[in-house]
Amino acid sequence: MLRLAILLTLIFATHSVASAELQPVSFRNDVMPILTRHACNSGGCHGKSTGQNGFRLSLLGFEPDFDYRALVLQGRGRRLFASAADDSLLLAKASGRVPHGGGTRIDPDSEDYRVLRDWIRCGAPDSRPGERRLERITVIPSEAVMNTSSESVLTVTAHYSDGRKQDVTARSLFESNAPEIGDVDGRARVSTAKRGGLFAVMVRFGGQIAVFQGTVPFPHVAEVSLNDAVAAAKVNPDGIDRNLIDQWTRLNVAPSPAADDASFVRRATIDICGTLPTPEEVTAYVEDSSTVKKQKLIDRLLERPEHASYFALKWADILQNRGRSYSSRRQREGTTLLTEWVRDSIAENKPYDRFVSEILTATGSQAQNPPTVWYRSVRTTQDYVESVSQAFLGVRIQCAQCHHHPAERWSQADYYSFAANFARVGRKGGFADAEVPTSEVIFLKDHGEVVHPRSGDVMSPRPLGGPDFKLSRYDDPRAALTEWMTSSKNPFFARTMANRMWGHFLGRGIVHPIDDSRSTNPPSNPALLDKLSREFVSSGYDVRQLIRVTTMSAAYGVSSEPTAHNKDDIQSFSRFQLRRLSAEVLLDGISQVLEVPTVFAGGPGKFPMGTRAIELPDENVPVNFLDVFGRPGRTSACECERADDPALAQALELVNSTEIQKKLTAKDGYIARLASNDEPHAVNVREIFLKVFAREPRDDESNAATEFLRSESDRVEAYRTLLWSLLATNEFMFNH
Amino acid sequence: MPHLNRRNFLQLGSPLMGLGLADILRSRTQAAEAGQATNKKSLIVFWTHGGMSQQDTYDMKPEAPAEYRGFYDTIKTSVPGISVGERFPGQAKVMHHISQVRSVHHENGIHAPSAHWMQTGRFGPTLARNAAQHPSFGSVVSRAKGAGTRHMPAYVTVPKSEAFGYQGAVYLGKASNPFEVGADPNSKDFKVPNLALPKGLEVKSVENRRKLLSQFDTLRRDIDNSGVLEGLDSFKAQALEMVTGDQVREAFDLSKEDASLRDRYGRHQYGQSALLARRLVEAGTTCVTINTGYWDHHNEIEKGLEEHLPPLDQAIAGLIQDLEERGLLDDVLIYCAGEFGRTPLINGHAGRDHWSNCFTVMFAGGGLKGGTVVGASEKFGGGVTERMTIPFDLFATIYQTLGIPLDTHYEDASGRPTSIIGEGQPIHELL
Repeated sequence: MLRLAILLTLIFATHSVASAELQPVSFRNDVMPILTRHACNSGGCHGKSTGQNGFRLSLLGFEPDFDYRALVLQGRGRRLFASAADDSLLLAKASGRVPHGGGTRIDPDSEDYRVLRDWIRCGAPDSRPGERRLERITVIPSEAVMNTSSESVLTVTAHYSDGRKQDVTARSLFESNAPEIGDVDGRARVSTAKRGGLFAVMVRFGGQIAVFQGTVPFPHVAEVSLNDAVAAAKVNPDGIDRNLIDQWTRLNVAPSPAADDASFVRRATIDICGTLPTPEEVTAYVEDSSTVKKQKLIDRLLERPEHASYFALKWADILQNRGRSYSSRRQREGTTLLTEWVRDSIAENKPYDRFVSEILTATGSQAQNPPTVWYRSVRTTQDYVESVSQAFLGVRIQCAQCHHHPAERWSQADYYSFAANFARVGRKGGFADAEVPTSEVIFLKDHGEVVHPRSGDVMSPRPLGGPDFKLSRYDDPRAALTEWMTSSKNPFFARTMANRMWGHFLGRGIVHPIDDSRSTNPPSNPALLDKLSREFVSSGYDVRQLIRVTTMSAAYGVSSEPTAHNKDDIQSFSRFQLRRLSAEVLLDGISQVLEVPTVFAGGPGKFPMGTRAIELPDENVPVNFLDVFGRPGRTSACECERADDPALAQALELVNSTEIQKKLTAKDGYIARLASNDEPHAVNVREIFLKVFAREPRDDESNAATEFLRSESDRVEAYRTLLWSLLATNEFMFNH
Repeated sequence: MPHLNRRNFLQLGSPLMGLGLADILRSRTQAAEAGQATNKKSLIVFWTHGGMSQQDTYDMKPEAPAEYRGFYDTIKTSVPGISVGERFPGQAKVMHHISQVRSVHHENGIHAPSAHWMQTGRFGPTLARNAAQHPSFGSVVSRAKGAGTRHMPAYVTVPKSEAFGYQGAVYLGKASNPFEVGADPNSKDFKVPNLALPKGLEVKSVENRRKLLSQFDTLRRDIDNSGVLEGLDSFKAQALEMVTGDQVREAFDLSKEDASLRDRYGRHQYGQSALLARRLVEAGTTCVTINTGYWDHHNEIEKGLEEHLPPLDQAIAGLIQDLEERGLLDDVLIYCAGEFGRTPLINGHAGRDHWSNCFTVMFAGGGLKGGTVVGASEKFGGGVTERMTIPFDLFATIYQTLGIPLDTHYEDASGRPTSIIGEGQPIHELL
């Protein structure tokens, strides 16, 4: 610091202009926000980790000390000249007078330019130690209901440590998360588009963030009584449906009517069990006249072994139970152990807090204690922090590994002190399979530390955003961590699971994406999420109860078909959101319809005949169909890895793969059975439709199908063609 | 906003899909229909999987002692002052169309991470078995430009994807993965397995299935606003068209070419792959990557090179010549690279080992300056003496040529906007 002061004196002493003539300019409070506002320190320019043309700033200005050195000391002092401030490279480049890759950023006639020039003329002083600090910013209004095609202006206020406030609207940055609903310009003017919906505007000033939330009611398309719609949707005005109705009212959206029984039984069986309902199950449900048949169905489905298998598959993805390595055989023993343990946990409805604690605090041999297998794929500082925060706390903290999170409060200190909870995880033994050893023993080491990469400080174990844990050297920091996580007051834990389950069943989280909770990504229905989380905690983390509440909600029961009153809405759960059958469910579904199981290769030995794709222990069982349809590689805790994006390879797999052709031509499958029975075509067609679509064919469909079957001379080929065509429809390939 | 490029900022989770797949498909179709992709240029890559020796090919060191110099003599080219190894006589004749970058450098000497580096621009997994972390440049091209015509795949690998699994799309989405040909185009009765029907399935049956599908595929399209349904529909149509229609199968049908032209390209895998690549880009494919064998010549490199160099040279030279005759050379960028070069000093097994410190890649066509050498290596090879070039510089050059905006960012799985060129800059000497 002393050296810096001397150097500055040398550079500026003889040239500085009497400061009385000029406004005192603060580096942190005045200069830094200008660099941020003009995107000088953005990730595409000087803020990226390698800087730009030798000039590097901290990303979005979160490290003022670093930036001060970069501006004042580096670049051989050419960046700033007190005697000829306008000739400073900073101003010459920013104003475009000297060629600048980033173009002209700051108009020489602007206030921002003047502030920078004054600061340089004053000798480019750093902020004084006792100088007031920016503590937070607020935006007014912080939320508003706005009409379509309307405008509103935000005001941003900076709150400083000396209690003073300042309007900094003109120096703040604004960004909308949904410009198609509501956008914002550089002068804080928010303007809504022609459609309704929810949007948020992130406001950034001097390393602080504030959020404006806009609600835009959909314009009236026609008179509709929300009450009528609510009645047709079979909404239960008590419980969580109340929160849905409130949101629909706010947004002027009406729910679609309730789905018919056949749709519901298909939907619920797929979402709870990863399985298609049989024709018998469909018929029984449709014909059941009980008023509580929905509850009974859901309870029945939750008891089925397929439910445990399907959710074990989901958790095996999240827990990264990865089989890929040099030795599938050795890895598979471990992946099988963990997957079976998860399956058992789900089958016994193990409370979620216990389930997670048992994984995170696991010690012992990976050959014997299944949850320790989680530590096989999750083994570095980065893995620990990112997997735990994303899977169980719904926070994507990745950014803070290298720099302050650009849209949240997380700093690098938060990242590395969270990592410190795992610093004493010890490993020994195991077959060293390059980077992924098998069968290690996980134990608590006596020592182990995590060091902040920039400051070099040894970090103490700490929860996310909380003060350090008070630990003795005999305590396992992981135990303190799980205790904090599973406490009823934890702001992340129950909420993340409630949101994850909502996302599973509704196709979209209340916070969306489901594991990206931050102030700048607000939940679409906060009251609903609060209620779900509270109930989940008070139930003792009863996952089945959470699933019951979720699947009994009106949102899960409404039709997927839009009405004029909700066709553009995707945020308020006014209709069931269409989604694809996942790779495993789709393959199993085809096997189930055609009555030809898939043969899964891979050791040790072959999987027994009749093994289903949802039962496979890991992603390394080679099945091309599953890979092209989006089976994830389990390289992260993000469910987003299971991508549902369509691809040509998927369509080709349906059209001309041997896998599908084998099932269609099997000697003892469903098609062979249809071809050899003596039933009239119409009877077969009815059964086929029930099997494939879980519904009766409409008359036109029945006629078309029987007509086609009659027109074909080859009965087997006729049924084969019909079945293929039905399996390739969207109605089959989607849950709706 | 003052000069804010939205892509520079963290994209928040948008209630709509932002630029979703539907938009991508739409822009691809629109671009295809209006013939107005940023430009109509396409890319053909020769990937020297395993690492080709720069010092026996493009960056000859005739003055070096024998243990560096290698086995080959130097020959003159059509450009005074530029010479190449004697196994490149074909390229020597068209050197005025070819440019070399002799100063490529990255910091890893192991196959997989190096391949990740040279395919994605970024350091990646340290083991071949680990998954890719970033999209390949081919996938970026595919995502950014799509295919030029409706039914052709945008990105094709011949005979299949290589580079240790790093030629894929990763977070760009499966639609930007390459279509793998799956067979050697030089094989007798060459057919594309993915376009061929499984045994026992006739085209007529597929036609029937297609007809019936259109009859029963009646789920309301408006129940989806994510674009997934629309996307799947369009891929189903494309797949059925590829399997039963003429356009795509014809593009893959090398028998449509004159025997004499096929001879000129060379009757070997590289030659016929190059010819196939030309047919594909003519039909609308935007990027074809030809994977050429395995060049990992630690032992008896001369033997290995005798096997690989003549067909590679014939294929590249044949392609350049053919494109020129068709007036297409400015529309097709040719790029030849691998994960690294090879050690300047010949080892005890008469081979050369891995060398990423300084190696050469080749560009031709695409409207780039030909007959140019950019950068230089030390006297006997080894280090860069002039104009260090990083992998992202090569991609920036490719993207610039293909009209892909260099400030394009794509979001990775965590939502982080990731630049397609990182810290790279186009090689202005070639533009």
